Amino acid sequence: MNLRGISATRIILWLVAITIVSFAIGFGILALNGGSSPSGDHPFTPFRNNALLTSNTTLIPLDEATSGDVRLTLGAGDLTLRGGAPDTALMEATVFTEAGIWQPELAQEVNNAQKVVTITEKGHTGKTWFAVDSPNRWEIRLSDTIPIRLEENVGAGDNTLRLGTLNLETLSVHTGAGDTIVDLSGYHGGRFDATIKTGVGDLTLRIPQTSNTRIVVHQGIGDINEDGFIRHDDTYITAGFNSSIAVNQITLNQGVGSITLEAV
Amino acid sequence: MQQTEAEYLRILKSRLVGTLTDDELADVLSDYSEHFRMGKANGRKEEELFCSLGSPEDVAREIRATHLVNKAESDRSCGNLLHAIGATLGLGLFNLVFVLVPFILLVVLLFVVFILGIVFTVFGPAAGIYAILQILGLPAFAIWQSPVAGVFFSLGITTFGLLLVIGDYFLARFSYHLGIRYLKWNIGVITGTERVA
Repeated sequence: MNLRGISATRIILWLVAITIVSFAIGFGILALNGGSSPSGDHPFTPFRNNALLTSNTTLIPLDEATSGDVRLTLGAGDLTLRGGAPDTALMEATVFTEAGIWQPELAQEVNNAQKVVTITEKGHTGKTWFAVDSPNRWEIRLSDTIPIRLEENVGAGDNTLRLGTLNLETLSVHTGAGDTIVDLSGYHGGRFDATIKTGVGDLTLRIPQTSNTRIVVHQGIGDINEDGFIRHDDTYITAGFNSSIAVNQITLNQGVGSITLEAV
Repeated sequence: MQQTEAEYLRILKSRLVGTLTDDELADVLSDYSEHFRMGKANGRKEEELFCSLGSPEDVAREIRATHLVNKAESDRSCGNLLHAIGATLGLGLFNLVFVLVPFILLVVLLFVVFILGIVFTVFGPAAGIYAILQILGLPAFAIWQSPVAGVFFSLGITTFGLLLVIGDYFLARFSYHLGIRYLKWNIGVITGTERVA
């Protein structure tokens, strides 16, 4: 076998050399960035593998509080939040992560009958290209029975909030990069104010069409698709909107990405 | 059944027509005629010669197997190898174990290695594209723990796949050569009767 004078032996030797060097560099990069964890129980893989994630579920009781203040900070990963926590609990948080060092910090206290819960995972910043990604995934259930002030920050990752069964006082969502879905369809809780800020990524906001809601949009680059709203410049209101009664005020700040508003 | 030399040669000829060329067939029949002539000249009876040679059907099977193995050796092709193996299988039922099973296992091994090579060769560039998209900040393509490491792993996977395909080619060639030698050895072991060179 000859290819224009290049012998098969030479080709094979080159392929062997390239293979060895490539794998050596790959494993070297992973080793330098902590990707090859010799202490792990799972087999090493250079791929992100959600099957390797271990879950850790924490139940945070109400402790006789009559309202809740939940503050979540996830540096990198996907977050899903919804209602349906057990009756005696403010929150049921399940964290899927590959390594113990990526488990978030949890703080909780009760102030004047208000349960304050803070969950923080700072992520790994400053090493983007070479970084060994933290395959975090949080699945959080909140109480449907008490009013909740919810503040949430996600650095990079998808952010899905299904809040239709909750009773919100305030809502603050901040996503750096990633898609965000805030689904309030079926919401029958009290009046709330919401601020949703996203850097890069698509944003979808669903609210009940029967609600008395006003949405103010500040958008950088991207399209806005709306269904079921009445538009006045950057303001979208639901059909039947009445400013003289309690209004759900939602402010959107979008950097780059499309916005989809749905009244369902 | 009482058999004559003419009938022996007729059966032998009928079993080898289509396998050997006319010249080769004539040579074989001439050799066996000469064998009979020499045996009779030495005072041996026809029945004795028949017993020493074996039945014409068995002799034809041995000649056919030897011929096809030699042909597969001189003219390498899958078809010739299959014909040689088929002819060797006809020499005895136990060759189903000693020839067919190793042959099937070898074919499966070569096939698996080839498919693995193709899979790695195709997967490598695809995973490399994913790594580049991950570097560009598209989270949907984040399959690598470290995207830069992923680029190098992709290159390594691709070249490893090519090595598997090339290695499979040489393994097939080596197996072909080894297989022919094994078939020859097998025929030699099975052929316990007197042979006419």
